Amino acid sequence: MKRIYIYLCSCLFLGLITTACKKTLIEAPKSTLTPAFFATNQGFQSGLVAAYAGFRTIWGPDTYFEMTVPGTDEFIAGNDGNNGLVKYNSNFNTADGTVATIWKNCYTYINTCNGLITNPPAGLDSATKTTGIAEAKFLRANYYFILVQFWGDVTLNKTFQATPTTSATRAPMADVYNFIIQDLNDAIAALPLSPQTNGVLPGRATKAAAMHLLAKVYLTRAGSSAKQPDDYKNAYTNAINLITNVAPAGGLKLQQDFGNVFAQGNENNSEILWTVQHTSTLAYNGSPTQNNSGPDNLLCHLFVPKYEVQPGMQRSTLYGRPYIRVVPTHWLTDTVFSERVNDQRYNKTFQTMWLCNNAASIPNWPNPLPAGAPAGAQPGAPKFTVGDTAIWMPGYAMTAAQIASYRYQVIPPAKYSIALSPALTKYFDTKRPDQNSPSSRPIIIYRLAETYLIAAEALFMDGRTGDAVQYVNAVRERAAYPSGNPQAMDITAGQLSLDFILDERSRELCGELVRWMDLARTGKLLERVKLHNSDGKNNIQPFHVLRPIPQTQIDATITGSPYPQNPGW
Amino acid sequence: MIKKLTKSFTFFMKVSIVVVVCVLVCCQLLLAKTAESQASATLVKISFSRESLQTAISKLEAQTNVKFSYNPEDLKDYTTIPHKFKNEPLGKILNYLFAKTHLAFTEINTGIVIYDKTASPKSSQLTNKTNERNIVGVTADITIKGKVSGSDGPLPGVSVVVEGSNQGAVTDSTGNYTIKAAPDAFLVFSSVGYRTQRVPVNNQTVIDVTMKSDSKSLNDIIVVGYGTQKKSDITGSIVSVNGQALRDIPASNLGQALQGQAAGVDIQKSAGNSHPGATQSILIRGTRSKNASNAPLVVVDGIPLNGSLNDINPDDIISLEVLKDASATAIYGSRGANGVLLVSTRRGKKGAPVISYSGYAGFSKPLGHYDVMNGPEFEDLKKWGLINGNPGKYTGLNDPAFLTDGSFAPQEVQSIQMGRSTDWQDLIYKTGFVTDHQLGVSGGNELTQYAISGGYYNETGIYFGQSFARYSAKVSIDQQLGKYVKVGLNSLNTLTYTNGENANPLGQALRASPLSTPYDNNGNLVGFTAGSANQVWNPLANFVPGAAVETRKRFGTFTTAYLEANLAPGLKYRFNGGAEVRPDVYGNFYASATTNNLGGASTANNQTTYSYNYTLENIVTYDKTIAQKHHINFTGLYSLQESQAEQNSFSYNNILSDGVQYYNPQYGSNLTGTGSYSKWDIISYMARINYGYANKYLLTLTMRSDGSSRLAPGNKYHVFPSAAAAWNVTQERFLSDSRVLSNLKLRVSYGTVGNTAIDPYQTLGGLTSVNYNFGSTNVTGAYPTTVPNPKLTWEYTSTLNAGIDFGLFSGRINGTIEAYHEYTNSLLLPLSLPPTSGIPSSILTNVGETENKGIEVSLSSINVPGNGRNSFSWTTNLNITFNRGKVTKLSNGVTQDITNNLFVGQPLGAIFDYKKIGIWQNTAADTALAKKLGLTVTGSGSVIGTIKVQDVNNNGKIDAGDRMILGSDQPKYTGGFTNRFGYKGFDFTVVAVYRVGGLITSKLFQSGSFINTFQGNYNNLNEDYWTPTNHQNYYPKPNSASTNTPYSSTLSYFDGTFLKIRSMTLGYNLPESIVKRISARSLRIYATAQNPFILFSPYRNTFHGLDPETAGALNVDTPAIQTFTFGINMTL
Repeated sequence: MKRIYIYLCSCLFLGLITTACKKTLIEAPKSTLTPAFFATNQGFQSGLVAAYAGFRTIWGPDTYFEMTVPGTDEFIAGNDGNNGLVKYNSNFNTADGTVATIWKNCYTYINTCNGLITNPPAGLDSATKTTGIAEAKFLRANYYFILVQFWGDVTLNKTFQATPTTSATRAPMADVYNFIIQDLNDAIAALPLSPQTNGVLPGRATKAAAMHLLAKVYLTRAGSSAKQPDDYKNAYTNAINLITNVAPAGGLKLQQDFGNVFAQGNENNSEILWTVQHTSTLAYNGSPTQNNSGPDNLLCHLFVPKYEVQPGMQRSTLYGRPYIRVVPTHWLTDTVFSERVNDQRYNKTFQTMWLCNNAASIPNWPNPLPAGAPAGAQPGAPKFTVGDTAIWMPGYAMTAAQIASYRYQVIPPAKYSIALSPALTKYFDTKRPDQNSPSSRPIIIYRLAETYLIAAEALFMDGRTGDAVQYVNAVRERAAYPSGNPQAMDITAGQLSLDFILDERSRELCGELVRWMDLARTGKLLERVKLHNSDGKNNIQPFHVLRPIPQTQIDATITGSPYPQNPGW
Repeated sequence: MIKKLTKSFTFFMKVSIVVVVCVLVCCQLLLAKTAESQASATLVKISFSRESLQTAISKLEAQTNVKFSYNPEDLKDYTTIPHKFKNEPLGKILNYLFAKTHLAFTEINTGIVIYDKTASPKSSQLTNKTNERNIVGVTADITIKGKVSGSDGPLPGVSVVVEGSNQGAVTDSTGNYTIKAAPDAFLVFSSVGYRTQRVPVNNQTVIDVTMKSDSKSLNDIIVVGYGTQKKSDITGSIVSVNGQALRDIPASNLGQALQGQAAGVDIQKSAGNSHPGATQSILIRGTRSKNASNAPLVVVDGIPLNGSLNDINPDDIISLEVLKDASATAIYGSRGANGVLLVSTRRGKKGAPVISYSGYAGFSKPLGHYDVMNGPEFEDLKKWGLINGNPGKYTGLNDPAFLTDGSFAPQEVQSIQMGRSTDWQDLIYKTGFVTDHQLGVSGGNELTQYAISGGYYNETGIYFGQSFARYSAKVSIDQQLGKYVKVGLNSLNTLTYTNGENANPLGQALRASPLSTPYDNNGNLVGFTAGSANQVWNPLANFVPGAAVETRKRFGTFTTAYLEANLAPGLKYRFNGGAEVRPDVYGNFYASATTNNLGGASTANNQTTYSYNYTLENIVTYDKTIAQKHHINFTGLYSLQESQAEQNSFSYNNILSDGVQYYNPQYGSNLTGTGSYSKWDIISYMARINYGYANKYLLTLTMRSDGSSRLAPGNKYHVFPSAAAAWNVTQERFLSDSRVLSNLKLRVSYGTVGNTAIDPYQTLGGLTSVNYNFGSTNVTGAYPTTVPNPKLTWEYTSTLNAGIDFGLFSGRINGTIEAYHEYTNSLLLPLSLPPTSGIPSSILTNVGETENKGIEVSLSSINVPGNGRNSFSWTTNLNITFNRGKVTKLSNGVTQDITNNLFVGQPLGAIFDYKKIGIWQNTAADTALAKKLGLTVTGSGSVIGTIKVQDVNNNGKIDAGDRMILGSDQPKYTGGFTNRFGYKGFDFTVVAVYRVGGLITSKLFQSGSFINTFQGNYNNLNEDYWTPTNHQNYYPKPNSASTNTPYSSTLSYFDGTFLKIRSMTLGYNLPESIVKRISARSLRIYATAQNPFILFSPYRNTFHGLDPETAGALNVDTPAIQTFTFGINMTL
């Protein structure tokens, strides 16, 4: 017996020693992917998908939105809005998390694009490779364009960052613009014609989108210190080429009805050049739990005022979740959109009426009835019922007596507040799974109407006012549909000015995440904020035309020379 | 090929385990006949000539290191018959020696007691000349009888000596003794493993004594890495905590029980978390690493535990050793950098079955309410917020527009008008209950010893839906097989149910407007509470049964088996195998109307985790004493550790029926899932030599080589050496007569250990997946978020440790003083790169060096020894730790890395922020200064009334250059003390922990907590805020336009000092007369109050915080609790 044990032990011991020596300490991850995956064809495709998906973290969340929509002549902070960045007060400083997020996200996905462009897998067939790289260049140009517009000189990574670095430098803006333009020219040469081209899936990069962006890039560079003599010319050449040649060939044209451009379900319409995609298949829509974070589309919430605490109202999927980050300036609702007879866009852009949806909070007529109460008012009886109007914003001034004659709440412009003002409806999503969910609507980034306005602006700035007018009028005439008179919308060369073009852009594009750049490009930011933005007019200073380099960037650049801050910050 | 080999190897390992387990089971059935256990099983090679029995025993004692206890008088008449023993068990030799005598022996603790078996029931009692002289002397001796017992009943073999004489006796097998002594004499009771007691006779003729086990005894056996050692032979820094100290506090896990009990061990609630089933953060000698875990390695019965502390039933633990210096931990090589906790669990002992039961039950309540505003206070806050957020809009607090313009919800207006105020905390707190039952049986014979125990622990939280229950079963068996082989099995099994581990209705309860009510006019629960911008959902909604369900079911077995074979005299081989398997199933479901979903779609999540790890060890030890003075002990080890974990997680929402909860995704929509897999291995070779010369000079040399799969190729293997020396000064002749010094030992050690406690696959870089769609085509992408680090290598910590162990006044005072200096190199650090690098996630790199130096003092003192049950006794244990850590170097000559919060010369955990110097006042001077600094002084963004920070760099504006080091979370010193009092069967124990200095961060006070926004949208901490008329200089103004009060983080730093009475226990040991009547051996009842007081805490006393104890920042979470329990301990 004893011997057996000894043998057993010895065998076990020797067995372990000899076999275990062969056990290797190699790591084999099963549930994660490593960068080696990018060397495969599948990896290339998935990297491209990620480079697209990166834009969900730009267009959709409230970060980029806060940097482009409020703090302009169009919008001010709403009740739950930002109290620093959008007001240009001293709370807006280099530690601002909003600008840091956009900065970081752009560089993350630029690196993804760099990997695709500089190291495509050897086994990839040339057609896939050519379009894939062209797409990546289009996307990279977009990321850099965001960076250069907000920050000026920025770090220019042209190749994949394979090793960790703790140093960084800023490249001159001119270099960045040249890089963007080169990317776009390369992309235009290889991308499919238009989103309407057969086989092009919604959201994919196309030649039309790249041309639109290139026109915009030239136009923007022309307004910057890196401007080149023929920038305006290049801008309108590209824009006009798109409008007159590429668009017709690619099945692109303005929608007949301005209201249809943003109609839910119509995001792939003939006017659309590029969208950031979202889907009602929620697992693919954004954040995994659809909790209004990260890559979710929150634009549906951000303009919604606090209707739900008004008498007779409660939160509903139809009217949205009131994030109330912004409310329109009086200049936007009362001045820019003052013409509402022929120009149909005000009513197709703003919600001004809410119907009662909560029986429990319907107010009763007091006893005695107030002076001027409408006929039919009964003391103690409900003022209205579910389905009746509960809130109405007529859009023009009314006397107290006129207001008193309504059964429901009437709010003339003088009573607009940061909690309750007309709500921009372009992003409303009435088909969300519940009242708190983010939107599953694709976000329109570039559309043909803007190409017209880019062409107009470039021509005008290049001194070709006469040629510019037709492009403004094309957009304006469409705005009359269906009940206005298109001819009445036309303007003459004498009426055209840079300010008119900016006003027209507001009427057409307000709330479309471009305004801050429009004002910065045209040098009108300070002027217009001081005129129309009650939040920022006393605070804005010349250095605000550039965003601060995020403190996170400066703090983390620990080797090499310190990362320079923008002047004034 | 490699894969194949690995596979076949794994298979072989599994087969090996199965074989060992089968052998163990079969051997149970084959009870061999003659075998001894424990000390008596030690194999001895010895020869006797004709010599006195006493000489023979002395020889055995020297050779075996087994301590013998006997009355020399019993032995003096016997001589031995010459005989040679060739590797016979000690027990057999003793049987031979005692064959024709009246002597017998028994094993007590770790020694052997020889007693006269014929003396029963009278004990052996001998008189000698001294005694006779006494009789003739001044006073006549009286005969004293009595019974000596220990915690488990009568104690045989206790030596009873009349102080100052040669007269003595030894208790018999039933613990009785008889002795003659003068009426004013003192009796000294002593026995191995027990504290010596000195009892005055005082004319008594019956003196019963209860011996107390003495953890400080130098002959105590201490568990060290891969073996045991006599305490006097230890060269490293090891703190031993006995089971008694661990049981002073009725605790749900080991961490709770150990708090404040050992110098250099800093245990705190993780992020102040107090919910049932929460585990603690344990730091040994401070923080040394930034990313790699700082948690110590927990080794249970020789095998590393990878599960949580909750997986071990604290009642199964009989002793705990904390290994602190490199000499002690080097043997654990790469896993020892953060110290090691060696846990020993209960095993069977030879003897009649002992049945023990212990149980307690009690209740808990919050340590206080968070101090938030009531209705009128909130009303004012909101009004001030609106006034400041809309300059010029309101005329003042009494502006009637507030009540009509929608500033307050209709219900809030109603509350203001009727003076109604809701205390939401009152509504959510309830009394928690805790109960614990442990039942155990242990016993055994010469060949087999067993211990079986079962336990049940249940704790419910202070709000609905939170609970933690643990069912545990433990079996241990030790079996001698033939002469040379011994096998054993120890299986710890637990099943835990944790409910509501993330349940935290407090966020909503603290934010809810006190002017709103939880019920509408019809008595139904409301959804969104009135006011609060429709962002605060009624917290009571989560208490509706079935609305919020969150459970974790975790089963775990931690089973270790060993086989030990004596191959030759002194040469032993031991195989240890341990396996831990832990399935863990988690699920949560939140109905639509809960704080989680705010009326949106219901949600559910399921997670299944399967983790297993095993350790296989082959240990060879050789032990030899040469020429009686040179004691050499060699330990050699080869071991393999492997850990694997797999997890799946599924989420879905919009579940058709709330009754489905998280059980079936088919009834939900939008199913998403994730999975993970990880595995790591460590292969180790180790050798250790202990050398002792005449018990005076001791030397330990250790060398361990570890290979870790988690590091980069080329850096996987590393050798960790250490050396230690000790000098037992009291063994020297010149101290042998010292009356003061009973023990003095000097120790010094130096060594290196490593740390690879990092997640696997960090050398490889990683991609992050992302979903996207092109129209209706759904796609999955991946993009790089980290880069590979082909250079990743071990983090090393080298420690120089010097210690003094001392005992004074016959062991009345024992103490240890340790000083250490640790250097950590190749610090494993997650480096966050500049965003422009394009790498968004941090990269694990070896960057920088840290050091820790410190002094630890532990003292235990028998202030009043007490003599038996009826006299007063008092003992004190005290420890204090001073630790100073800092970063000494960062790579590339960088001296500050703000992003990663690393500053050369500062501790890890430095607090780097703006310096608050007050509040901007509405004075001309402040306005001018603010303008000069470029700050806005008009409009809703005006700085007037907000926090004023210092222009530290004096550049005329407030910018990032004004941030500075404000302090760190490192305390000046920490420690604990325990006082035990006894009198007439009563015992009273007070355990206290303290912490002095260091900053704590309480995020409650930051705007991000949403309870200190000063916005007026939500309820707020009740603070005396600034208003244009209240020029106080600490808290800023309310501002409805501002979700975040600028620089609110500066409000969140507090002095972390406190003294906490962890527990007060009053116990009573029932007298034997009563205990006997119910046929029990012992019976104790007690009552304990946990956390009755927190003293000297500025955070609690001045700033109305609840509990300053936290590792990491305090968040809005379950408040700390007080618990009151009543318990009973019984042995049968």
